[in-house]
Amino acid sequence: MEKKKAPAKIFKQELIVFLVVVALLIFFCAASEDFRKYTTILTIMDYSYYIVLMAIGVAFPLITGGVDLSIGTGLVCYSLAGGYMIVHMGLPVWLAMIVTILFGIVIGTLNGFLIGVMGLPPFLATLCTCMITRGLGSICSGNFGISWPASGQDGSWFRNIFKYTAGDTKIPLGFIWVLILAIVMHYVLNHTKIGRYTIAIGSNKEAAILSGINVKFYHIMAYVISGFFAALAAIAYSAVFGTVLPGTGAGFELEAIGGAIIGGVSATGGAGSIIGTFIGVFVICLLKTGLPFIGLQANWQQIVTGLVLIGSVMVDIVKKSKEAKK
Amino acid sequence: MKKKVLATIVSAAMVATLLAGCGAAAEQPAAQEAAPAKEEAAAPAADAAAPAADATAEVGDLDFKIVVKSFQSSYWQAAVQGVNQAAEELGVKVECNGPNAESDIADQVNMLTNYINGNPSGIGLAACDQSACLDALQMAKDAGIPVVCFDSGCPDAPEGSVYSTIATDNYGAGATAAENLYKALKDTIASASAPVRIGEVNQESTSESITLRGLGFIDKFAELASADGKKVAVVGNEFYVNGAKDKGDEATADVIIEVAVPAQTTVELCATEASAIMNKSDVLGIFGSNQVAAEGILSANENLNKLGTEAGKTILAAGFDAGSVIKGAIKDGKMFGAVTQSPLAMGKTTVETLVKIAYGTPVSDIATDGYWYDNSNMDAPDIAPNLYD
Repeated sequence: MEKKKAPAKIFKQELIVFLVVVALLIFFCAASEDFRKYTTILTIMDYSYYIVLMAIGVAFPLITGGVDLSIGTGLVCYSLAGGYMIVHMGLPVWLAMIVTILFGIVIGTLNGFLIGVMGLPPFLATLCTCMITRGLGSICSGNFGISWPASGQDGSWFRNIFKYTAGDTKIPLGFIWVLILAIVMHYVLNHTKIGRYTIAIGSNKEAAILSGINVKFYHIMAYVISGFFAALAAIAYSAVFGTVLPGTGAGFELEAIGGAIIGGVSATGGAGSIIGTFIGVFVICLLKTGLPFIGLQANWQQIVTGLVLIGSVMVDIVKKSKEAKK
Repeated sequence: MKKKVLATIVSAAMVATLLAGCGAAAEQPAAQEAAPAKEEAAAPAADAAAPAADATAEVGDLDFKIVVKSFQSSYWQAAVQGVNQAAEELGVKVECNGPNAESDIADQVNMLTNYINGNPSGIGLAACDQSACLDALQMAKDAGIPVVCFDSGCPDAPEGSVYSTIATDNYGAGATAAENLYKALKDTIASASAPVRIGEVNQESTSESITLRGLGFIDKFAELASADGKKVAVVGNEFYVNGAKDKGDEATADVIIEVAVPAQTTVELCATEASAIMNKSDVLGIFGSNQVAAEGILSANENLNKLGTEAGKTILAAGFDAGSVIKGAIKDGKMFGAVTQSPLAMGKTTVETLVKIAYGTPVSDIATDGYWYDNSNMDAPDIAPNLYD
C-alpha cells in the first residue's frame, strides 16, 4: 500500500513544479521582449549547471534528514585548488579536474564521518566544513582570484563540455550531461541499495538500524555523493564563468537546497525526487535570470527568491499535515 | 563528551578561518618560498604585540600594518607586491592583511581595530567602506598611530587621523573611460533615430573608489552627449541615479545610461546584471568599473556574442584594471579598451609615505594616474608595466 502511494505522489509534485517553470517562462516572455531570445536560454543554462549538480548531490543528505551547507564554499574551494594547479603549477586540465573531484570526495567523506560516525548534527558539522573550505580555498589559491583557461587560451577545451561552440552558435551541451546525471541518480535513489537506504535513514533511522542496515556506511555515502557533485559543480562553474574568487561561494548552497526543496525533496527527510530537484532548480535559475530582465534590482531579486522558497516549503508542510490527518 | 568534541571542532574551524585571513599576509604565489620570517608574520594578529626580536637597523624597528580590501583580484596582488618591494628596499617590517571578500566590511573593521590595539608604527588602509572605518580611525588618532589611506580614501575621516591619501583619481579615471567610449560611439549616437542605451556595471555602491568611478563615467558621458545636443537620463541602481549630476528624464531622453549593481561581488552575479542590459537591442556601449565587473561583462558576452569593434558586433565594452582575462579580450578585440591604475606604484608609495611620517617629514595627498589602454597601446612603455595578469 505505502509503497505504491509514494511514487505517484512524487510524480505529481514534479508535474506541479514543471508547470511552475512553464508559467515563469511564459510570464518572463510576456513581460520582456529581450527575454524571448535564444541567448536567454544559454544564460539560464549557464546558471543551471552548477546549481543542478549541487542540488542533485545535496538531495541525498536532505533525504537522510540532514543537510550539507559546505557545498557552496566547497565548490569555490575545489575550483580554486584545481585552477591553481593549472595556472601556477602547469598541470594539464584533465588532471586538475580529477584532483578537483577527489578534493570534493575527501570533504564529503569528512562530512559523512563527522555526522554518520561521530554523531554531530548535520547542520553544525557542515557549517564547520563550510568555514573550513572557505578558508582552505583562500589558502589553496594564495588568497587571489584564479581564472581557469578562457576560451581561446590553451586548455580551454573543457569549456566545450558545457557550451559547445560551432562557428557563431553556442550549444548548451551541458544540459544533456546534467539531465543524464539526474536520471542516473534518480535511478540510484529509487532502485539501488545506496538510495533505498538513504531514504530509510531519513524516514526512520532507528528502524533502519534495527533491520540490520549498516547505517554508518550509508550515512557517510550520502555526504560523499554530495561532495562529489559539489566538485562536479565546481568544474561546471569554472567552465562557464572562468574566474573564481576566494571568500565567495557562501549562499550557493542555498540556491541548490532551495531547488531541491522546490522539487519535492522533503525538508525533514525521508522522501524526495532527483528529477523533481532537476526541475526545481530551473525555478531558481529562471528567477535569477528573468528578474533582472523585468528591471528588478538585485536586492529585490533576492527577496522574491526567498518568498518563492517560503511558498514551496509551506506547500510541503500543508501536504504533510493533510497526510497526517488521513 | 559530545560537547567537547563539538567545541574542539568548532574552534578548529575558527582557527582555520583565522589562518585563512592571516595567511593572506605573506603567502602570495610568487613569494611562497620566501624566508620563514614571513611565515611568522602570517601568524594571528596577536603577535603584533610580541617583541620584534630580529630588528637589525633603526629603520628595522618600524613596523607597519597594511589592510587591503581583499585579495580577490590580481589588482591587489600587484599592490601587495609593491608594498613588499618597498618594505624590502627600505628594510622595514610590513604585514598585509585583508578580508576574504571586498563586501566583508565588518571583517575589515575588525582587522583594523586589532592592528590598532597592537600599536604599530603606522597603518596603510584601503577601506572597503568609506564610513565603516571612521570609529577605528578615531581610535588610531587617539592612540597616535598615523594612517595612510590608499586606493580608496575616507573623505569623512576625523581631522588629523589620515595623514595622506594615495589613490587614483577615480572620478577622473571613470571620466577617462567615458571620454574614450564616447569618442568611439559619437557618430552612431549622433545619427541614431531612436533612444540609445549605455550600460554600466558596478560591483557595489559602498566604496569610494568604485562609486567615484561609476559616477565619473556617468557624469562625463552625460556631459559629452549633452554638449552634442542629446538629452541624457540615468536609470537603474538608486545610489548611482541619485548621485549623478543630472538624472534626467527617461521618457524624453536620447541617451539612457543604465546602471546595475549585483547583490554580491562575484563574477557570476555581475554577469547576470550585464546580460540583462546587453540583451536590450538599443545598447551601444557598456562599462565595467573594476576587474570583477569587467569580467562579468565578458562572461555575459560568451553567450550574447555582441561585443567587439568589428562589423556585426553591436556593443563596445570598456573595462577597468587588467588581469589575464581582460587583457586577452582587449587583445582580440572583444573589449574595446580599459582604464588601468598603477597598483604597484600605489603599494610602494604607501610604505614610503608611512616611513616619511615616522621620520616626521611632512606628507600630502598623492593622486596616481589612471591610463586608458586598448589594443593599440598595450605594449607602450608607460602602460605595459601596469598591466598585471
